[in-house]
Amino acid sequence: MTDPAIATEAPLHAEFLREPWDGLGLPQEEALSYQRFGATFGIWIFIASEVLFFGALFLFYAAVRAEHAEAFATAARETNIVYGTLNTAILLTSGLSAAAASLASEHVPLRRLTQWCLVATATLGLAFLAVKGMEYRDDIAEHLVPGRGFKLPEPSAQLFFGFYWLSTGIHGVHLTVGIGLVARLIWIGWRHPERLPGNPQVEVTMLYWGFVDMVWLFLYPALYLVGRPG
Amino acid sequence: MSAPVSAGAVWRRVLPVWLGLMALLAVACALAYAPLGPWTAAVSFGIATTQAALVALLFMRLIEASALIRLTAACGLFWSAILFTLTFADVLSRLTRS
Amino acid sequence: MSTRVAESPASLADPDELALGLPESYLSAGGTLGSWLTSTDHKRIAILYALSVTLFFFIGGAAATLVRLELFTPQADLVGADTYNKLFTLHGVIMVWFFLIPSIPTTFGNFLLPLMIGARDLAFPKLNLASWYLNVIGGLITATAVLAGGIDTGWTFYVPYSTTFSNTAVTIGVLGVFVSGFSTIATGVNFIATTHLLRAPGMTWFRLPLFVWAMYTTSIIFVLATPVLALTIILVVAERSLGLPIFDPAKGGDPILFQHLFWFYSHPAVYIMLLPGMGIVSEVITCFARRRIFGYDFMVYALVAIAVIGFFTWGHHMFTSGMSPYAALIFSFLSFVVAVPSAIKVFNWTATLYRGQVGFESPMLYVLGYIGLFTVGGLTGLFLASIPIDVHVQDTYFVVAHFHYIMVGATVSAYFAGLHFWWPKFTGRMYPETWAKFAAVLMFFGFNLTFFPQFIAGYLGMPRRYHVYPPEFQVWNVLSSSGAAVLAAAYLMPLGYLTWSLFFGARAVNDPWNASGLEWRTTSPPPRVNFFGRPAVLAKPYNYHPEGAAPLHDEPRIPSQGSLT
Repeated sequence: MTDPAIATEAPLHAEFLREPWDGLGLPQEEALSYQRFGATFGIWIFIASEVLFFGALFLFYAAVRAEHAEAFATAARETNIVYGTLNTAILLTSGLSAAAASLASEHVPLRRLTQWCLVATATLGLAFLAVKGMEYRDDIAEHLVPGRGFKLPEPSAQLFFGFYWLSTGIHGVHLTVGIGLVARLIWIGWRHPERLPGNPQVEVTMLYWGFVDMVWLFLYPALYLVGRPG
Repeated sequence: MSAPVSAGAVWRRVLPVWLGLMALLAVACALAYAPLGPWTAAVSFGIATTQAALVALLFMRLIEASALIRLTAACGLFWSAILFTLTFADVLSRLTRS
Repeated sequence: MSTRVAESPASLADPDELALGLPESYLSAGGTLGSWLTSTDHKRIAILYALSVTLFFFIGGAAATLVRLELFTPQADLVGADTYNKLFTLHGVIMVWFFLIPSIPTTFGNFLLPLMIGARDLAFPKLNLASWYLNVIGGLITATAVLAGGIDTGWTFYVPYSTTFSNTAVTIGVLGVFVSGFSTIATGVNFIATTHLLRAPGMTWFRLPLFVWAMYTTSIIFVLATPVLALTIILVVAERSLGLPIFDPAKGGDPILFQHLFWFYSHPAVYIMLLPGMGIVSEVITCFARRRIFGYDFMVYALVAIAVIGFFTWGHHMFTSGMSPYAALIFSFLSFVVAVPSAIKVFNWTATLYRGQVGFESPMLYVLGYIGLFTVGGLTGLFLASIPIDVHVQDTYFVVAHFHYIMVGATVSAYFAGLHFWWPKFTGRMYPETWAKFAAVLMFFGFNLTFFPQFIAGYLGMPRRYHVYPPEFQVWNVLSSSGAAVLAAAYLMPLGYLTWSLFFGARAVNDPWNASGLEWRTTSPPPRVNFFGRPAVLAKPYNYHPEGAAPLHDEPRIPSQGSLT
């Protein structure tokens, strides 16, 4: 599993350098590398803020589950574990292609691999949304939307499904934003292929994608793995 | 920290992680049906935490990132912990009263 | 004083212009409206923010004026109950989210942070511009709520009233706040990255001006607290407009959980409103006392401590909510703890004055007022941190007076202090000092006349958010409303003379106050690229006199320094 450590390749595209990183008095390569670090740092700060955002959402889940354990378990059995597990597998695979794209984007010879991995990431993201759409359709048909005519009698079972629709909706919005960002990179890679390798925006987008993945990793047990035994 | 320069090197880095993630997914799914009593939540969220750690450390490359970036990621977790802990100090003590 | 300039000044934009050696400032680099609205120059964006923040200040102030007019008399004679509720809600929402939270960070922070660390711009200039647009769009959305009849829930929009019972434009109103939240998160990301990565050579962490530390710690709060508010707003909108059960007790929901989520953000938010002002005070008091700051390191630790510990104290807003008494005790203790770093700062500012050459220029008047008013506000905060006292005065005017002493007495005073101190730097003009001194003193008296009677009224039992009250409270309300009129005059005066100075004020030199800090080492106003050449830092901040030695009083207090170039 050793990686070849030495390779000669063309210098990364310097047009990515922008103000104020170009005013630091550093040689171009160093300035670009510093800018890239800045971009990575910036997106991680944003991810930290998103951790708080979803953390608050999970706090709501945890508090309500603690207060209504039984009704939660009863309600949670109604979620479709097949769709849920399938979607988790899809998203994890998209994380694979995203990580590959991020690594490949650092090297000019791997430009086509980067592009194809971006396409795979976006496609898997769309597949996730499609499966989710089918799942939503089934949920609506089974009267799992809180309100009048809700399937289960206990009022607090509706709280679980309130969380279900809200959290999957919010996750879906984040995923859609991610797909949009990846689509933008695909477009750049298609129209201006030389602007993809070394582009700091690839790593930033892939980090965002990884985070959206992580959120789902916690939503999966929260929504699909509760109350299953018995 | 040698960067991969061939496609094979890239896949050799990420595929094992993916296999681990999928294996954990299968375990989580299976254990959801096991009679673990009060441990089911801990087990399923514990597996999720492991998967998230793999994604963060290996897919999102925290393991080779600078200390500043790791500190940033840790701050997100630490502050979420404050939110959970102090809120639950209230929620749980109200639960035991009723 | 401690910088080195490596290259010669920039050349003129118009080669036919007579080269008087005057550099082109950021104000003249592009004169069209489009160049302003699409500029990624942090200085121009700061001016854009200053305009929007000022507009919101006067809208929120107008609402407050109507509130205080109504409260002249115990009966409801000016407005009805619903309108009154909408007025104080508007006042709170606009003042908190569209004035106080953005004010100092987005105006002074945007303008000064790169200058103070010797950088050319913020780390992500386009994100900075996007941040302004998000703020304005958020403001427009909330304004739409006002036009749609207003909101009557109070700025805290507690559930279940806001989700289930209120018939007003709650959803639109809180969505405006939601959008502007992204603006502040973006600013926070920008400031943190800039402070870490773009400091000039020699500008180590412990040579940073305290204003930069204040911006940095405030940005940490922006980034970590605001997302929780964003989610809380989503939960409220989901329950109110999408019909999902979240906090509804009939479905087993927990309204106190809303309060936890809301105050997890809103308590650190008050530190967002406080810390930047503290940064300004440190800059101004050192300059006009001609002294190094006393205890620089502990001033830094205090800022960090307030930012961090402030996240642990939110439950003190919920002592009377039905929260568990055990949790209440924890929050009460932590609230006492968070007062300690604030007190350290007050002691250090006071010690900074010792053996100084204290003058009473207008920025200094605002800052001296700040210290006194912040002390009163902070001490009354301690009273509120004590559960038995809080149970007595919760939801009375005592609480209203406490937070106005901090937010208006302290933060708004600091805002005006900074506005006057850096006005020459931002605009290249000097303002008329006598008018400024008069406005500062008038503001101090008007403020105390407005808010001190509210402590008394509240302690005697007058509830907040009531437009009708028992006649025994009238005397305090009349005093308070009269004070509000004085305060309004004191706020309008700077609007007048500062605007006058833009057209008729004397031209400012680079460093009219003979101050330390990199921002004074460039022209007033600065050129687009901030500095000529790349600054390097050779000494600690506030080097008004040698370390460890008292300043000599044999020189003029503020020798004029610098030229127009």
